[in-house]
Amino acid sequence: MSKDAELVKKLKDSSLKDTAFSELLDVYQERLYWHVRKIVTTHENADDVLQNTFIRIYKSIGDFQEKSSLHTWMYRIAYNESIRFLDKNKKKDYDNIDEVSESNLEVLFEDEYFDGDEIQNKLTKLINGFTEKQKRVFQMKYFDDLSFRKISEILDVSESTLKSTYYTVVKIIEEKIFL
Amino acid sequence: MEKSTENGNKKSFLTKGFKGDISKHHKKYLGTDVPEGYFVKSKISILDKIKVDFIIEEPKEIKKQLVFSMEPQFKYLVAASLVFALSLTVWLQNSNKIDTINETNFELLAFSDDVLFDSLFIDETEFEVFTDVTLFNEVVVKAELSEQKLDNLILDNLILGDSLLDHHINDVLVETIIL
Repeated sequence: MSKDAELVKKLKDSSLKDTAFSELLDVYQERLYWHVRKIVTTHENADDVLQNTFIRIYKSIGDFQEKSSLHTWMYRIAYNESIRFLDKNKKKDYDNIDEVSESNLEVLFEDEYFDGDEIQNKLTKLINGFTEKQKRVFQMKYFDDLSFRKISEILDVSESTLKSTYYTVVKIIEEKIFL
Repeated sequence: MEKSTENGNKKSFLTKGFKGDISKHHKKYLGTDVPEGYFVKSKISILDKIKVDFIIEEPKEIKKQLVFSMEPQFKYLVAASLVFALSLTVWLQNSNKIDTINETNFELLAFSDDVLFDSLFIDETEFEVFTDVTLFNEVVVKAELSEQKLDNLILDNLILGDSLLDHHINDVLVETIIL
């Protein structure tokens, strides 16, 4: 039995649930935080979304049918919570998507816990300029180190589409930053 | 020389992916950071929130048990007051019943007095007609009816007795002839 499967078994047992949940936080809290942070931009927002994500995980673990891995299931919850957060806090007075991207960058650069140098700012700006799909695929693959199969389960997009999107983005980054 | 090493590092950013500390990786390439000791504090905060949200129902039941188990005097006091309240209710109900009976008797007496007084002023002819009708209904009709009933009974018995006797004689006769 894998470590995750063992953890799920404990989480579904009411007498072991709290101990197992603490263990789950030790393993996945940091990974999920960074996954969320890249979507909601600031540390403060990421903190809110992370709390909601783990509360939802605690509440729904009984319904987890183990069709996907625990890891993927939690990432999907975190992703959905982040999107829900963005929808809730979306400003309605933007004229187009470029304005939203610009605003995201402003928010990021003003964040207390952002301290990027020239190259980091350039990369951030570049990633921020991609479409939502390109951005998510690149971030999940590169920064969260998820396999294409897992990303495909989280975003509900075919693996071949994901691969093509990822390599397009990588090519653009290489051209714009390193060449 | 320094520049070529830098470029080499940057290229490895895209080809190798990250290995190890995910927070350091984000700090290195995106310039994003988290407050000191954030993940420990966040874990405690999530666990506290879960305790408040989900384990709030159990103490309620324990509290209910404690009221009686911690203070036995309270239990006796409640039992005594319940017995007192019950007996008071029964006593009050009984006392009310006696009053109502007395009231009814007084009413009956008053009613019968009224009837007696009224009967003195009734006309003789009306009284005679009333007594005749009553006498006819009560004595003559009832006597007739009881006489009829008696006749019917005697007739029924006679007919039944005759038929049985005939039947018996016939049976005896047939038996005697055969034997």
